[in-house]
Amino acid sequence: MSRIILLLIAICFVRSNAVAVDYESEIKPLFEEKCGACHGVLKQEAGLRLDAGSLVRQGSVDGSVLDFEHPRHSRLIERITTTDHDERMPPDGQGNPLSEQQINQLIQWIESGATSPADEPIIASPQEHWAYQRPVKLPLPQVSATSDSTNPIDAWMDAKRQEAGLVPTPQASDDTLLRRIYLDVTGLPPSLTQQEEFFERSSPNRWSELVNELLGDSAYGEKWGRHWMDVWRYSDWDGYKNEVRGSQPHIWHWRDWIVESLNADKGYDVMVAEMLAGDEMAPEDMSTLRATGFLVRNFHKSNRDIWLDATVEHSAKAFLGMTIACARCHDHKYDPISQQEYYNLRAVFEPHRVRTEQLPGQSDTSKQGLPRAYDADLDIETFLYVRGNEKNPDKAHPLEPNVPAIIGTTFQVDAIPLPTVASHPFMRDHVEAEELKLIREELKKAQDAIASHPEEHATPIARQTLATAKAKLRSAELRWAATKAKLDSESTSASLASQAAEAERSFQFQQTLLSVLKQRSAVAAAKESKEADETKKKQAIDAAEKKLAELEKQLVETSVKLTESGNKFTPVGKSYPTASTGRRTALAKWITHPDNPLTARVAINHLWMRHFGEPLVENVFDFGLRSNRPLHHELLDWLAIEFMENQWSMKHIHRLILNSRTYQLASSPEQLDEAVLQRNQSVDPDNQYFWRANVRRLEAEVVRDSLLAVSGSLDRTMGGADIDYQDGEKNNRRSLYFRHAYEKQMQMLVTFDAANPTDCYRRTESIIPQQALALANSPLATDQARLLAQRISAQASDDNSFTNLAFRTTLGRRASDSELSTCNSFLQQQTNLLTNQSSLAPLGVAVTTVQPATDAASRARENLIHVLMNHNDFVTLR
Amino acid sequence: MKTKTASEQNNSVSNQHRRGFLQDLGLGFGSVALSSLLQTDTNAGPAVPAIAPRAKNVIWLFMIGGASHMETFDPKPALTKFAGKTIDETPHSGVLKSPYLANERVVAFDPNNGFIRNEIYPLQVGYGPRGESGIEISDWFPHLSECADDLCLVRSMWTEDSNHGAQLQFHTGRHRVDGFFPTIGSWATYGLGSLNENLPQFVVMGTPVADCCGGQECHRANYLGPQFDGVPLDVDSDTPLPYALPPAGVFREEQAGEFELLRQLHQLSSEQFPDDESLRARIRSYELAFRMQTAVPDVVRFNDESELTRRQYGLDQNETKAFGQQMLTARRLVERGVRFVQVYHGSNGGAGQWDSHTGLKANHSKLCRQTDQPIAALLKDLKQRGLLDETLVVWATEFGRTPGAQSSNGRDHHPYGFSVWMAGGGIRGGITHGATDELGFHAVENRHYVTDIHATLLHQLGLDPHKLVVEGRQRLEKDFGHVIHDILA
Repeated sequence: MSRIILLLIAICFVRSNAVAVDYESEIKPLFEEKCGACHGVLKQEAGLRLDAGSLVRQGSVDGSVLDFEHPRHSRLIERITTTDHDERMPPDGQGNPLSEQQINQLIQWIESGATSPADEPIIASPQEHWAYQRPVKLPLPQVSATSDSTNPIDAWMDAKRQEAGLVPTPQASDDTLLRRIYLDVTGLPPSLTQQEEFFERSSPNRWSELVNELLGDSAYGEKWGRHWMDVWRYSDWDGYKNEVRGSQPHIWHWRDWIVESLNADKGYDVMVAEMLAGDEMAPEDMSTLRATGFLVRNFHKSNRDIWLDATVEHSAKAFLGMTIACARCHDHKYDPISQQEYYNLRAVFEPHRVRTEQLPGQSDTSKQGLPRAYDADLDIETFLYVRGNEKNPDKAHPLEPNVPAIIGTTFQVDAIPLPTVASHPFMRDHVEAEELKLIREELKKAQDAIASHPEEHATPIARQTLATAKAKLRSAELRWAATKAKLDSESTSASLASQAAEAERSFQFQQTLLSVLKQRSAVAAAKESKEADETKKKQAIDAAEKKLAELEKQLVETSVKLTESGNKFTPVGKSYPTASTGRRTALAKWITHPDNPLTARVAINHLWMRHFGEPLVENVFDFGLRSNRPLHHELLDWLAIEFMENQWSMKHIHRLILNSRTYQLASSPEQLDEAVLQRNQSVDPDNQYFWRANVRRLEAEVVRDSLLAVSGSLDRTMGGADIDYQDGEKNNRRSLYFRHAYEKQMQMLVTFDAANPTDCYRRTESIIPQQALALANSPLATDQARLLAQRISAQASDDNSFTNLAFRTTLGRRASDSELSTCNSFLQQQTNLLTNQSSLAPLGVAVTTVQPATDAASRARENLIHVLMNHNDFVTLR
Repeated sequence: MKTKTASEQNNSVSNQHRRGFLQDLGLGFGSVALSSLLQTDTNAGPAVPAIAPRAKNVIWLFMIGGASHMETFDPKPALTKFAGKTIDETPHSGVLKSPYLANERVVAFDPNNGFIRNEIYPLQVGYGPRGESGIEISDWFPHLSECADDLCLVRSMWTEDSNHGAQLQFHTGRHRVDGFFPTIGSWATYGLGSLNENLPQFVVMGTPVADCCGGQECHRANYLGPQFDGVPLDVDSDTPLPYALPPAGVFREEQAGEFELLRQLHQLSSEQFPDDESLRARIRSYELAFRMQTAVPDVVRFNDESELTRRQYGLDQNETKAFGQQMLTARRLVERGVRFVQVYHGSNGGAGQWDSHTGLKANHSKLCRQTDQPIAALLKDLKQRGLLDETLVVWATEFGRTPGAQSSNGRDHHPYGFSVWMAGGGIRGGITHGATDELGFHAVENRHYVTDIHATLLHQLGLDPHKLVVEGRQRLEKDFGHVIHDILA
């Protein structure tokens, strides 16, 4: 069901002033919001709990808080309405007083007997909350006689459905299924050839074979990579010109790591660990370092608190379904997480910073490089901000790194010594070789310049250029030797250091001398200039002479230094701490420990939602106390354990899901017997039992990629640097490769609900006219329609076969008879219309790449394809 | 973000009723449904008569960079009297010990700007009583002064951010450190929906805030979804909206033929899938898109506007032309039922043109000249057409400027006290509300945080800010603000 509808319905409920007060929708949320923090499972001030109707009726240590005879005089009402500030609930600073309307609702509820559902769940302590219990793998229920599936998912689903008296829809048609699985797994629609090839297969296992083939296609990593990029908040850098304000340039390495890891079916536990602590786990391995883009992405130039708050908040939401950010200013109101625990978790991340690693072949890290995380400040302290106010840190009590106690598995921090190349990145082999090679090339150029002239014609500048290059090489070689010697052993490096220092001083002198010579000739040139304007000429001469004077002064300084004897030289590169705190590794181990009850469940829920359109646990980032035990909790647990038992293989879970009958059900309930359908719809109108497939709108990237794929234009090149987001209409790469950041987003993708780069655990699915305009009017859609029309016209003998091919290529299904005749008459009418173009009114302005066909019939066919690209089915998964 | 309560799940009958109702209204224009539903859905009981709306539309003018309150709407003769003295040397040295100073929060320390400046800088412009009400407005607003009796000057605003993240803060009510949130325009349209489905309901004009200071998040809907984002309208272009028209060479009749075929094919689909709500919504979205194609360019074509009107808005003068076009478009938009029109003035890719650290006099006199006549023309035009009663016009800026001098002839950022004004839409005209102290330093009387403007605006539109909540997304008390009841007519 469209999420907008639900949103609206929910608001209606909030705003409606129904006669009878509804406990579930009005009273319970009110107690939760206003009283929950002190009168619930976390705290029971005065022994009073208000988190269930029966507990409200039970009252406090002083007896009942309700007076059914005189509801207005109930203690509950008196305490919220009193004008005595010391008495009034909620107390000052803990929330606003209840509004008159809310008070009246409570009175009405008491008047009507303070009723609540008999089966309202009550937990005795937060530890009992289902999500904090380790998952249990119960034996599969008996497969019913009516089911022919042996898939464990179906076993659980069938059992639940039978209990509720629900009958699932039949299996969807072949073409629907084929389109569903292709778009779901690869993000690309099945081509005509792929469709035909599948329909012709005779193997009884053709479906499971296809599942394996598609999971083996590299497009799987691109499609599901984008899903996880949503959850892990992928963002390209934001900023302006050379100023990086958020994330980092070259963060695309992390995106490529995600895609590659998924395609290689790297365990989810390993992925999580590498993202949090790849620099500690594999400090020398550039490939693994890419994973720490997860942390790098949170970089915030101007404020370290924004940076770390985002890291804490989203690590907890993404991996644990835990809204720990609510405990930044005070103890969590709904979950057993103290404010101190928030800062304990912050302490895990406190030492880390980001830097850019030099990659082979490019020493300029602004052009190319690998942004990665590392621990920079090993002894830095973390303080709790009193009431969350960064201006008021509790400096008396520095906090240790730790994790929320409610999840009781061990958290053990051990410092990690780092190998040389991790703390001295210049020691990677390629760095020295590349630097010296560049200098030698410079020297060669200087030598060649002299050699091409006889000595007497070589200018002083050319000779000095050569001298400078020689000095530069010598200085560089000695600096490298001295730096390396210093790393090897402090004692033997003294003489090398003094040589390096001498060579560096000599190089600086030679270089300054060269600048002086060049500036002298610049002064001469200015004096001889043919500039007619005397003022301008004088200004130019003055400026040149001023600069010369400065350089000559420097020359004196550098020549004086030649006589010095210090052994201070510039190291060849920056060094970093030789150890890492190990805090993030400890966190990663704790998160991916099989006893952590949240991690696998949260991941399974994300996978499930993206296959079925609805999750098993409604709020994918909050498994806390406000998240009721899900209807399909046995299945969720079963899958979570199956996941962990199979090396956290995501492909294993995909395979189970895709091979299930539940995945393959038809979406249209019309196929059910009328009486069955009515029963299903009255028992479960929202399809919580997955008795039919959910109709879904394609994600933004899939919409755009599909346009390119059906026309055959899609450029399947994988990976590499982010592409300018403004080139989306003319660059045919897949959408995930385009720059996507807070201020840099492709219009087409935004229109179709692209991920909000700052927070997107679940996409919205809107239906807005701007989407219609984008598909109807974008040069992209128009271009691709024209290309596709040309392509299939070549294969089509007549209009009928053209229309058939057009439907199958764009929508992955055959045209019905009525569709066929409708389209055929359109082709005729449109051909007639376009035959006499002089009488028509030109409309548009934007420029297309592909010109329309010149003859009317071909152009009408282009129009037909364009219409099919605008068809609801084109952007829909049935 | 999905919202579904247990009772909804149990209440399938009314759910289905609502769903059917929504289908007929069409989704996508989601909020059409929201407001209409509340009034019309008999099953939901009587509509909440919470607040009777006084206004239908909002025109929100935002001066980027921080306009000086002392040189616009809040005269402080004490500045001239004490010019050159330090604040400590005046009888008002207490301002430097005020607890209000603690409200300041910064994203990042800026070594150059965002300081309290101690040496008093004299007023750079004269003032005079305007209109029958005699409220004082600076001499840089000669045209707007003619509308004085329609203006309500609020002289007691305060905000937190002493840097330009305050631009974001004025639109979302949250400090930049807290992140991004739905903006006032998106909340208003979320709560009310559209009066003209052929046009977007939340339109933005002018170059937006730069990314340093909130960027497009100053007119986005964030978690409310893209259907409530402000839609940028380029008044100077053939394609004022993204994808507003097909590519060059496409004929009107050709496209009409395509839309007709699409309609027929969708019709066939809906016979096959009668229960598919999203299909019905999509059909409707195409009908609307087709009409939008004509309606949007019509708004920015001024063919039917008289020479006089164009002159009044200053379209014949270089300095006023750009903003004048936007003001005239704003009127045309509200005339056509667009709910929320947000117009930025002074964007420069950075902090904003109003940011007068140096040369305040030259800067502000120029920027006032660019905006004064067009804004006055808008107010007069709305009034003459009887639209001002139902259109709330807001003039705002992210903060004021320091009473003390910066770089000899400028003023620094000042979050502790500044001015905005409102007009029309059931706001009392010809009044001032609240006050800063003698130096214009702190808002001292009837202090208002920025969301009080939001609350007042929503109240006039008939919305209770506390009802604007999406499950799973917590709003803080300060997000809601307080209605400024004293200024309501």
